[in-house]
Amino acid sequence: MSEGHLQRFERVVLPHLDDAYTLARYLLRDEHDAQDVVQEASLRALRYFDSYSGGDARAWLLAIVRNCSLTWRKRQWTDDRTVPFEDDMAIPANDDDAPDAAAVQASEQARVQQAIASLPDEFREVIVLREVQDLSYREIGDIVGVPIGTVMSRLARARKRLAVLLQIDAREAS
Amino acid sequence: MLCDACQSALEARLDGELAADEAREIDRHLATCPACARQFATLGETRRLVSENAMRYTAPDVLKARIRGAVARAATPPVAADTRRKTFRWWREVAAGVAIAIASSAVTFVAARHSEATYAAADELLASHIRSLMPGHLTDVPSTEQHTVKPWFNGRVDLSPAVPNLDKAGFPLVGGRADYIRGRVVPVVVYARRRHMINVYAWPSSSPGGAPPNDLSRNGYHFVMWRSGGIEYWAVSDLNAAELHAFVAMFVAAH
Repeated sequence: MSEGHLQRFERVVLPHLDDAYTLARYLLRDEHDAQDVVQEASLRALRYFDSYSGGDARAWLLAIVRNCSLTWRKRQWTDDRTVPFEDDMAIPANDDDAPDAAAVQASEQARVQQAIASLPDEFREVIVLREVQDLSYREIGDIVGVPIGTVMSRLARARKRLAVLLQIDAREAS
Repeated sequence: MLCDACQSALEARLDGELAADEAREIDRHLATCPACARQFATLGETRRLVSENAMRYTAPDVLKARIRGAVARAATPPVAADTRRKTFRWWREVAAGVAIAIASSAVTFVAARHSEATYAAADELLASHIRSLMPGHLTDVPSTEQHTVKPWFNGRVDLSPAVPNLDKAGFPLVGGRADYIRGRVVPVVVYARRRHMINVYAWPSSSPGGAPPNDLSRNGYHFVMWRSGGIEYWAVSDLNAAELHAFVAMFVAAH
C-alpha cells in the first residue's frame, strides 16, 4: 500500500472518529465495547478504502461502524447464552456517567439519554442517525439497508415512544 | 387533504425532506387543522429535546492514538503473522507451566503500593507508549532478530536489557528504541501480540522513588513491573491483563 493511500485515508476518514465513536456508544451502550468496535471498523474501513467512491466519508464510515456493532452484538449475545444470567443482570447504560446521580438524574440530558437507551435497537439507530448525526432519510436508508419508507415509519414510531417517555404531550397540556 | 395521509408527511416536513410545494401544502393544512397542528408541535418538541440534549461523545485520545497506530501498522506488512498463528495453542499450555515456575522462582515481584512516584512514572510511560504507536515512532531499530536489537543498545543507553526471543510463545519481537523517561535515556524493547504492541522499558533497579506496584492499569492500558538482574522492567500494553501477565512470565523465564 502506498504512502499516499494511507495519508488519504488518514485525511478523509479519521476526522470522523468522534462521530463513529458516538454511534458505537449508542448502539452498544458500553464504553469499552464501543472503543473496540471503532478500532475494528477503522481497520475494516482501511481494508475496503479502495471501494470508497468519494461520497460522504462520514456516512460511509458510519455504515461500517454500524455493521461492526451488529456483528459485535451478535457475538456478545452468543457468549451471553453460554454464561446465563450473570451478564443479563448488568444495568444497561450510563453507569459510567453516574457519579453525581441525583444531579444528573434531574437534568434534561439524563432523561433524554435514558429514553434513547430504552428504545429497541432498530428504533434507536434511526433516531441517533437522524437527531445526533443529522443524516438524511436516504443516507439512513443506505446505512441501515432498508427503503426510505421503512426509515420513515421507524423514525415515526421511535419519536412516538420518545414523546411518551419524555412526557411531552403532558407537558404541553399543563 | 385527509389527516390520515398527513401523518407521515408531518415527519417529513419536520425533517426538511419535503419538496417546497409539498411543504407549503402541509403548512396550509396545519393552519386549519388543530389536531394535526398539535401533533406537529409534539413532534417538533420531541425532536428539539432529543437533538439538543443527546450526548455527542468524543473518542478518547488514547483510542485515536491506538487507531492511528493500528492503521499505520496495517498499512505495512505484518510481523511474523504465520509464526504466531501456528504457535497460538502451544504457548497457552507452556504459559500455565511457566506461571507456576515463576511463583516459586527467585524473581521478586514488588508488593503493590500505589505511591505518587509510581503514578507519575505510569503517566510518563503511558504518554511514551501512546506516542510510540503514532506512525514512525515505534522503533529505532526495527528487527525481529534479538541479536540485532540487543547490541543496538550498546553505546546508546547505560544498561543492557534482556531481549528474549518469544516468537514461539506468540510474542514476536518488533524492534527496539531509545526513549527519554523519568529523566534518563532508557532502552525500550517492543513486542507484538496480534494487533497489540507491548513496550518493555528498563531502568537500573536502584532508581529513586517509592516501591511501585507490580500491576497497574490506566485508561485501558495495563502496566506490569518486575525486577530481575538489577534491572527494573515495565511492560506497557493495551493487551488484556491476563495475556500481558503471561507475556511477562515468558519474558522472565526465557532470559
